[in-house]
Amino acid sequence: MLEALWNNVDYVASVVLFCIGLYIIIAKNNLIKKFLGLNIMETAVFSFIIALGVIDGGDAPIMGAGAHAPFSSPVPQALVLTGIVVAVSTTALALSLIIRIYRQCGTIEADELREME
Amino acid sequence: MAAWPHWLPLVVLAPLLGAVFTPVVSLRSRHVAPWWALAVMSATSVAALFLVLRVASEGPFSYLPGGWQPPYGIELRFDEFSAVISVICLIGWLAVLYSLRYTEWLREVPKQRIPYYYALLLLNLGGMIGFVVTGDLFNLFVFLEILSLSAYALVAFSGEHIAEMAAFKYLLMGAISSLLVLFSVGIIFGITGSLNMADVATRIGQLDSAAPAALALAMLAIGFMVKAAVFPVHIWLPDAHAIAPSPISAVLSGLVVKVGIIGLIRVYQIYYAAGVLDLHTLNQVLVWLGAISIVMGAFFAIFQDDIKLMLAYSTISNVGYIVMGLGLSTNFSVIGGSVHVFNHALIKATLFLAAGALIYRTGYRTLTDLRGIGRSMPLTCIAISIGAISIVGIPPTAGFLCKWYIALGAFEADQPFFGFALIFGALFIFIYYIRMVNAFYFQAPVHPEILEVAEAPLSMLAPTLLLASLCLIMGILGRIPLAFIEPAAARLLAPLGG
Repeated sequence: MLEALWNNVDYVASVVLFCIGLYIIIAKNNLIKKFLGLNIMETAVFSFIIALGVIDGGDAPIMGAGAHAPFSSPVPQALVLTGIVVAVSTTALALSLIIRIYRQCGTIEADELREME
Repeated sequence: MAAWPHWLPLVVLAPLLGAVFTPVVSLRSRHVAPWWALAVMSATSVAALFLVLRVASEGPFSYLPGGWQPPYGIELRFDEFSAVISVICLIGWLAVLYSLRYTEWLREVPKQRIPYYYALLLLNLGGMIGFVVTGDLFNLFVFLEILSLSAYALVAFSGEHIAEMAAFKYLLMGAISSLLVLFSVGIIFGITGSLNMADVATRIGQLDSAAPAALALAMLAIGFMVKAAVFPVHIWLPDAHAIAPSPISAVLSGLVVKVGIIGLIRVYQIYYAAGVLDLHTLNQVLVWLGAISIVMGAFFAIFQDDIKLMLAYSTISNVGYIVMGLGLSTNFSVIGGSVHVFNHALIKATLFLAAGALIYRTGYRTLTDLRGIGRSMPLTCIAISIGAISIVGIPPTAGFLCKWYIALGAFEADQPFFGFALIFGALFIFIYYIRMVNAFYFQAPVHPEILEVAEAPLSMLAPTLLLASLCLIMGILGRIPLAFIEPAAARLLAPLGG
């Protein structure tokens, strides 16, 4: 059991990170901190997908002199690149929403905002 | 014309490119933006019409951008469930027309920002169309994010004082669910090495161990349930849908929550075809959550005084009906559920557009304040009444057939309890819509000036009345969508041996 976990330590790490992020979103009161939790979750998913494509001793799959098998899969990197673009736009939107919430209500603590409603 | 192969990429690209160019074309004058958006949606609707005609005559078909064969290339796939793009185009077009007057009225929104509203709306519609026609799991995620991000921003557009809070709550829940979807797409890619849905289905069927596939299934199901606002994860919906500008509420409530449902259908297509997992447990969970959503949504709606909040809770009930139909997994219930995706979009768009017209003319949003409005805005209130009787499911309106089919499915699946839960829920829904109709027609007005307001302007009245008459027409011609979706439902359930 332990050995299986150790052999897949990259996957285990992503799942742990994912749960940490989820915990922060649920438990923290500050909207920026909640959002950082979301960013941690995003990082966890991206590292998981990147780890999928890695092969021990694998080469970059670029044809030409000196290229030899095994190759690492390039697809996960393309996926994660797209994922990062999405994550950046989510971050930008969320931060701008937080700024507007602060301007209107003067606070970004979730419990104080709830009282204001 | 219908056989021209390039309609399929065009229907996705037109709104997305149109969105990108909206700020450019409205650089000189911001009044160009709505007409540009209307033109883009008209082109998209023409493409959608040809696609639906083609799928009706020759069944599902694919388009391979760049000619790369799947599973290596990306595939766009159009099947009967994708025909929901017809209603996306229709409601999108009408929402743009409706916004013409409505956005000018939003006082908190600076006038020069209004073109961005149309850009976001087009992005949202394009994302939805892309989501329902893609045959690739990762593209599914990308389109999901396009439509979700634009939806969060549109909710914040109304300028009401808690709009940003509602949008932020929506964003947090939505982003978590999108990440769950992305995580499970990663898992599926890891165990199968493929992202093409049809290819994934065959490869999952050949796996030695189904455990990771089951994990991915659970996460996909939860992720899409958040998007669809099924009972325990619905908490983002009421605020977001009630606060958003009314045409956006119509799009969000009628269409965006349905994306979660279409996502669930896609997941079912993959896992039923793979056949390695017994989906009985998931089905039972969906049926129970659907039943609880129906009753809870209706229960909360009874106590609302704000008309849009009431409609938002009613969306939770109706998503419950659809999810229950999928979970019962009999021929009748799946057909009823999928047609309700279509019909509920029409009904809820009617109701939100009509409610928006009332708010636009009077400035009031609670049932108490709006008492007696039926005398001064008769046409809008007729539209609301038609919407109300359709959503309760009284024949001969659009809501009746779907609910009838889902109830038949419950009895067919030998779970009559859920058939009764459905009828019980319909009674609840009847109570609060009767409250609404009662307030509009039979109660003395609280504000006397409400008797003097004018009928809604034509650009708002016409979409509302068109949708209301469609609610009636779809009830009378209800056989057509039922027959249309039947082969798709049969194909979905074929691996079950039924």
